Amino acid sequence: MKVDLHPKESLLFNAFLLVFIIHSVQVGVGIIGLPRIVFLNAKHDAWIAVFLAGVFTAVILWFMIMMLKQYDSADLYGIHADVFGKWLGNFLSFVYMLYLTACFSVIILNYIEIVQVWIFPNLPTWQLALVLILLAVYAVHGGIRVIVGVSFLSATGTLWLLLVLCIPLRYTDITHMFPIMNVDIKHMIKGIKSVTLSILGFELLMFVYPFVKEKRRALFYVQLGNLFTTLAFTLITLISIVFFAEDTLSKVIWPVISMLKIVRLPNLERFEFLAVSFWMLVILPNICLYLWAASKGFSRIIKRTQKMGIWIIAMIAFGASFFIKARYQMNFFTDMISKAGFYAAYCYPVILSIIVYLKKWLSRRKQSHAEPS
Amino acid sequence: MPNHPKWQMLVMLFSCVIFISGCVERKQLEKLGLSTAVGYDLEKENHIRGTVVVHKFDPLAKNMTRIITSVANTSNTLRQKQNLETDQELVSGQLRCVIYSKELAERGIIQLADALNRDPTIGNTVYLTVTDTKASSIIKMEKENLKVDLGTYLYNLIKQNVENEQLLSPTLHEFNHAYDDHGKDPVLPILKLKKGNVILSGMALFQDDRAVAELKGDKLFYLKILSDKFKSGTHEIGFKRSRFKRIIRNEQGHRFRTVYNEFYINIDNIRSNTKIKLVDKKNLHFKVEIKLESRLLEATEILDLSTPANIKFIEKIVNKEMEKEIKNLLIFFQENRVDPVGFGNKYIANNRGKMLSKKEWRDKYKDATFEVHVNNTIIKTGVTD
Repeated sequence: MKVDLHPKESLLFNAFLLVFIIHSVQVGVGIIGLPRIVFLNAKHDAWIAVFLAGVFTAVILWFMIMMLKQYDSADLYGIHADVFGKWLGNFLSFVYMLYLTACFSVIILNYIEIVQVWIFPNLPTWQLALVLILLAVYAVHGGIRVIVGVSFLSATGTLWLLLVLCIPLRYTDITHMFPIMNVDIKHMIKGIKSVTLSILGFELLMFVYPFVKEKRRALFYVQLGNLFTTLAFTLITLISIVFFAEDTLSKVIWPVISMLKIVRLPNLERFEFLAVSFWMLVILPNICLYLWAASKGFSRIIKRTQKMGIWIIAMIAFGASFFIKARYQMNFFTDMISKAGFYAAYCYPVILSIIVYLKKWLSRRKQSHAEPS
Repeated sequence: MPNHPKWQMLVMLFSCVIFISGCVERKQLEKLGLSTAVGYDLEKENHIRGTVVVHKFDPLAKNMTRIITSVANTSNTLRQKQNLETDQELVSGQLRCVIYSKELAERGIIQLADALNRDPTIGNTVYLTVTDTKASSIIKMEKENLKVDLGTYLYNLIKQNVENEQLLSPTLHEFNHAYDDHGKDPVLPILKLKKGNVILSGMALFQDDRAVAELKGDKLFYLKILSDKFKSGTHEIGFKRSRFKRIIRNEQGHRFRTVYNEFYINIDNIRSNTKIKLVDKKNLHFKVEIKLESRLLEATEILDLSTPANIKFIEKIVNKEMEKEIKNLLIFFQENRVDPVGFGNKYIANNRGKMLSKKEWRDKYKDATFEVHVNNTIIKTGVTD
C-alpha cells in the first residue's frame, strides 16, 4: 500500500475551506446536550471547562498537523502502514474504521432520538435512519468536493441559529455565573473530558489532509475553525448556565432545544420545531465525512472500491438502528463512543505523532550516518 | 441517460422521500380540539379534577369552545378521560394558561408543573396562575361577554398586565427557574371572579411549590421594584397632610376645599434600577439600593413645585416612605419564610465552596438583615410647574 495519497488536481480543495470542514464537523448532535453534561461535572464553571477543552483541542490539532507534515501527502491509513508495517498497521486502520463507523451511526441515532422526543413520538427509528443514511450515501458518492460543499453550506447556513440565542438572554439571571472558578481541579478536568463527544470530529483532519491544495496554510485555517467552534460552544454553555436554574440544567437532556422553547415568533408558535428540523443540516456534513473517511479505508487497506465500502457501512449503521430503543441504551452507546473518541481523537494522535517524529528522526540520523561512509 | 447509476440513485431517493413522508402521523386541524386553558382542583384525597377549555376549528359550529371536566389521579389520565367526551382529538400544543385552585396550591403543585415540563408539546411560555376559588368555577364563568375563548382571554389579561409592568411575568419557565434555584421562590398571580368576570387580584407567594402567602395591591409594586426593573411604572403614595404643609400652595382669593383628608401623590414614568449587595457575609446583612427616576403627575393638593428645594423636599419624603414600605415588605417575606426576590442567589453567588441547598438557605434566611436606600429623583412635573 502506498503511504502517500496523490489525488488528482481536480479533487483538491482550497485550504481556507478547512475552516468550514473543521467547524461543521465539530458542531453536531453533541452541542445540544453539551451544557448539561459539562454542568454535571464542572457546575456553573462549565463554560470555562468548555473553553479549556477548545484550547486543548487546538493543541491536539497542532500535533496532528505536525505529524501530517512529516509526510508529503499522507492520510492516517498511510501513516499506519508506514509506521507499523502491513499487519499491525492495517489492524489499527481497521480499528479506526470501526470507530468512524460507530461515530457515523451514533450521530444518526442521537439525532433521530431528538426528532422522536420533540416532534414525532411515534416515528419508527428505521424510517428516518434510512432517509439520513441514503442522503449521506448519495453525498459521499459525489466525492470529497461535494462533501466539502455540504459542510460549507451547513456552516454558513446555520450561523443565524446563534443569533436566535439572543432571545433566551432576556430571561437570564446573571448571579448563576458567580463565584467564578469555584469548582476544584478534579471536577474541572472531568468537565473538560465530558466535552469530548461534542467537540469531536476534528480527527477527520487526518483523512482529508491529502486533499488540501495549499498544505502549508492548513494549520492556520484548522485553528481558525476550531477557534470559532470553541467560542460558539462557550457562548452556548454560558447562556444555558444563566438561563436555567441550577436544578433544571442538571435535569434537561437537551438544554439547547429547551432553551429555544422560549422563542416565539408571531406566525410560528414553537421555534424548537424549526431548530430540530434545521439541525439535520448541521449533522449532515458530520455523517457525510464520517462515512467518507470510514469507506476510504476500503480502497486504502483492502483494495476494494470505496463505493462498496460506503454501502457496507451504510448497511451496518442501518442495522444498528434496530437495536437501540430506550433512552438508557442510547446513553450507554453514546458514552461508549465518547470514551472511545477521547482515546481515538485526543490521545492517539499525540502518541502517533511522537512515534512518527521519532521514526523520521531516526531514519534521518541513519541517513546522515550512512552518507559519509 | 436514465440508466446511469446517479439517476437510479436520484429516483430512489426521491421515491423514499415521497413515500416515507406519508408515514408520518398526520394531524388535521379540523379533527383536533385545542385545549387553551386547563384548571386543576383538588377533588378529594388522591384525586384531582381537571377542567379544560377546548377550542374547535369547525366552520359549522356556532359555539367555538367547549368545556370538559373529569376526575383522575394524574394529569395525563385526565386528558385521556376528557378525550372520551369529545369527537375531536385533544391536543395541548396551544395551551395558554393553567389554573390551580387554592387548595391545590397550598398542598404543592410541582408534580403538575413537572408534567407540563416533560411534555415537549407544551410551550415554555404557558402562564401559570392560582385562583382563590375553584379553578373549575373560573373556567365555567359566563362566556356571553367573551369574544375569544377563555384561554386566550386569560393569556391576554396576564400578558397585557405584564407588559404594563403591573405584574411579574408568571410563565412556566419563570416558575421553573425560581423553583429550581436554590435561593429564590416562585410567585404566581391570583385570579378572582368579580361579577362574572375574571380579574387579577394579587400575587401568591410560594415556598418551594406551596402557596403560603398573598400579596395585594400596593405591595406588588414594591415586589416588582425589588426583583425586576421598571421602565415606566406608576405608583401612588399616601401621606398625612401635615407633612406637606410647607409646600402646599395657598391659593389667595380662591376658596379651596378638598375631598380628601389625607394627601396622595402619584408618580409615573418610573424607571427603576435595583442593586442588592451582600455587605456582611457572616451576619447576612444585605444592602438594597434603589434608584428611581420619575415624573410627578398628580397630587391631591396643589403643590408649589417652582423651586428646587421644594422638589427635593418631596423626594425626601417619598424616599422615606418607600424605604419604610420596602422594609416592611422584606420583613413580611421573612416572616413567611419566602424569598421571591432572590436574596439567596445573591448570597450563593458571593460564597465560595459548597453550594447551599434550598433548606440550608431557608434556615439562614430568617436571620438576614436588610438595609434599604431609596433614591428617587423627580425629573419632570408635567407641563406645569
